[in-house]
Amino acid sequence: MATLTRAEAEELLFREALLIDTQRYAEWLAMFTPDIEFWMPAWRNETETTADPDRELSLIYYKGRRNLEDRVMRLTSGLSTASTPPPRVVHAISNVLVTAAQGETADISAVFTCHRFDVRMNRAECFFGRYEYHLRHEDGDWRIAAKKIILLNDVIPTVVDVTSI
Amino acid sequence: MTIDVTAYVDDRPEEGIFRVNRAIFTDEQVFEAEMARIFEGGWVFLGLAAQVPAPHDFFTTFAGRVPIMVQRDGAGALRAFVNSCPHKGARLAQTQSGNARLHVCPYHSWSFDSAGRSKAVKWQKAGCYSAAFDQQDHGLAAMPRFENYRGFLFGSLSANVPPLADYLGEAAKLLDLVADQSEDGVELVPGQVTFTYQANWKLQLENCSDAYHFTSAHPSYIRVLERRQQEASGEVVASVWENSDYWKEETKGVGGGSYSFPNGHVLNWGVFGITPAIPLYESAAVLAERHGEGKRDWMFNMRNLTIFPNLQVAENASSQLRVIRPLGPGLTEMRTWCIAPVGESAAARRQRIRQYEDFFNPTGMATPDDTVSYENCQIGYAGTVDPWLQGYARGMTASVAGGNRFSDRIGMNPARSVLADSQLCDETLYHAYYRAWVARMEGAA
Repeated sequence: MATLTRAEAEELLFREALLIDTQRYAEWLAMFTPDIEFWMPAWRNETETTADPDRELSLIYYKGRRNLEDRVMRLTSGLSTASTPPPRVVHAISNVLVTAAQGETADISAVFTCHRFDVRMNRAECFFGRYEYHLRHEDGDWRIAAKKIILLNDVIPTVVDVTSI
Repeated sequence: MTIDVTAYVDDRPEEGIFRVNRAIFTDEQVFEAEMARIFEGGWVFLGLAAQVPAPHDFFTTFAGRVPIMVQRDGAGALRAFVNSCPHKGARLAQTQSGNARLHVCPYHSWSFDSAGRSKAVKWQKAGCYSAAFDQQDHGLAAMPRFENYRGFLFGSLSANVPPLADYLGEAAKLLDLVADQSEDGVELVPGQVTFTYQANWKLQLENCSDAYHFTSAHPSYIRVLERRQQEASGEVVASVWENSDYWKEETKGVGGGSYSFPNGHVLNWGVFGITPAIPLYESAAVLAERHGEGKRDWMFNMRNLTIFPNLQVAENASSQLRVIRPLGPGLTEMRTWCIAPVGESAAARRQRIRQYEDFFNPTGMATPDDTVSYENCQIGYAGTVDPWLQGYARGMTASVAGGNRFSDRIGMNPARSVLADSQLCDETLYHAYYRAWVARMEGAA
């Protein structure tokens, strides 16, 4: 099959952003492979993130879509004070590059800003950083097998959930 | 400036009344006095000796508003300094941690060795200084008091404080339960997580000790636990909560309780049991051998410990060390780490880390429902039609002087204790915070 093009990579990232921003979480989760590694490392010091999720702390680390389904269930349960009412978010994704592409797998890097308006506290915040994706072509589509989020402004104002990174 | 403490804490034990005024969380003058008398006027937790293992290692932190540097010198001695150049006051060490034989101020290059001594005042001879200046000590200002209790480092910006052992008192035995989990002590897992919330620091103090909120503030997390229990599979993050039931409302009998100590230290606790859901399980036998079953069992209890005013060690879903840093009456910074016994197996460490992220992180599924509740409280505190809060009354008739059969197992003598079933959820342990607060605001060291 043809290797992933940058246009296809952008299409996938922009679609993912739209699904999160419009709270279409079931469709968002369907973009992941069942064994997805969803990882936002913590920072070890001023200049390096943690690198080994088994020996160092991450801000978020899940292996398996099942765990992200838990996160979405909590977000939409109406039982989480921090998630109700939901903040308004918009992701802007740029600098998309296909860094490796070989048949049915591909790696992408990109940068993001996510603006969040917390309606509960009437405050706006911006989170920004880089993405690294590993994609696999499965069941007729490109799916996300790994998503690494490098959050650059990591002093967390009260809460950061999977929807604002 | 004098604070009339009776305007903030209404403590009448003989009448069964303990109330706290909402203004204690919002008043600017109260905050200023707290900084001066509590955080900059007495013992505060600085960090762990394990953060500076090698010669010349240092880390930075704050005592109230004062930047502090804790440094190991070339011979291995630990000291704490005000992290500020005596020349113009500039912050000297710029990073959270590092290794430096020499600190050179980035502003005018005054330099200091790792024992805090002045090494050079740039171009001193050409500087036409007076004799009085040349006779002055140009080294770093040491914290007036600095002590190490089993790797837990504390400092005081006031010299007029009791020895650390006296300040900690019997609560030191609860730090022992942390320090003794390995013969090599405890360490911080790499990766620090810092978050802020827009509410008063004492909300964090209370919430750590608050058994009453768990099923109310975290039902979404409990729902996740139930789902995991039903669909147990290798890929879900296993939590100790779903393997324990002391906190569930239908559970009967004594499941835990609280202890309070002089100087505002408190513990609330519950029975988890010796279960594989706890990463320490692999050491259960050896810890019983080394320390006796009583102390070993205590290491496996759910424990939320506060050493007043700024240290919390929470051992429940995982193990967290927290340092509370008030930034204003309505703004607090929390620096948090996963604390773990040195030398545990790779599998235990991974389990500990996964449980930690899931529950404790501000990017996880539990802490945000706490901190958002603090912010809701801070907003609500403006309601002063009745300024006196009713959140300090549960457990009033269950609180007794001294310890009980559980504290006896580790020979610990608290000032007061409560034995609780799952629904008692004592609030009298907060009294210890506010009694210490009153004493300190009235000038006690």
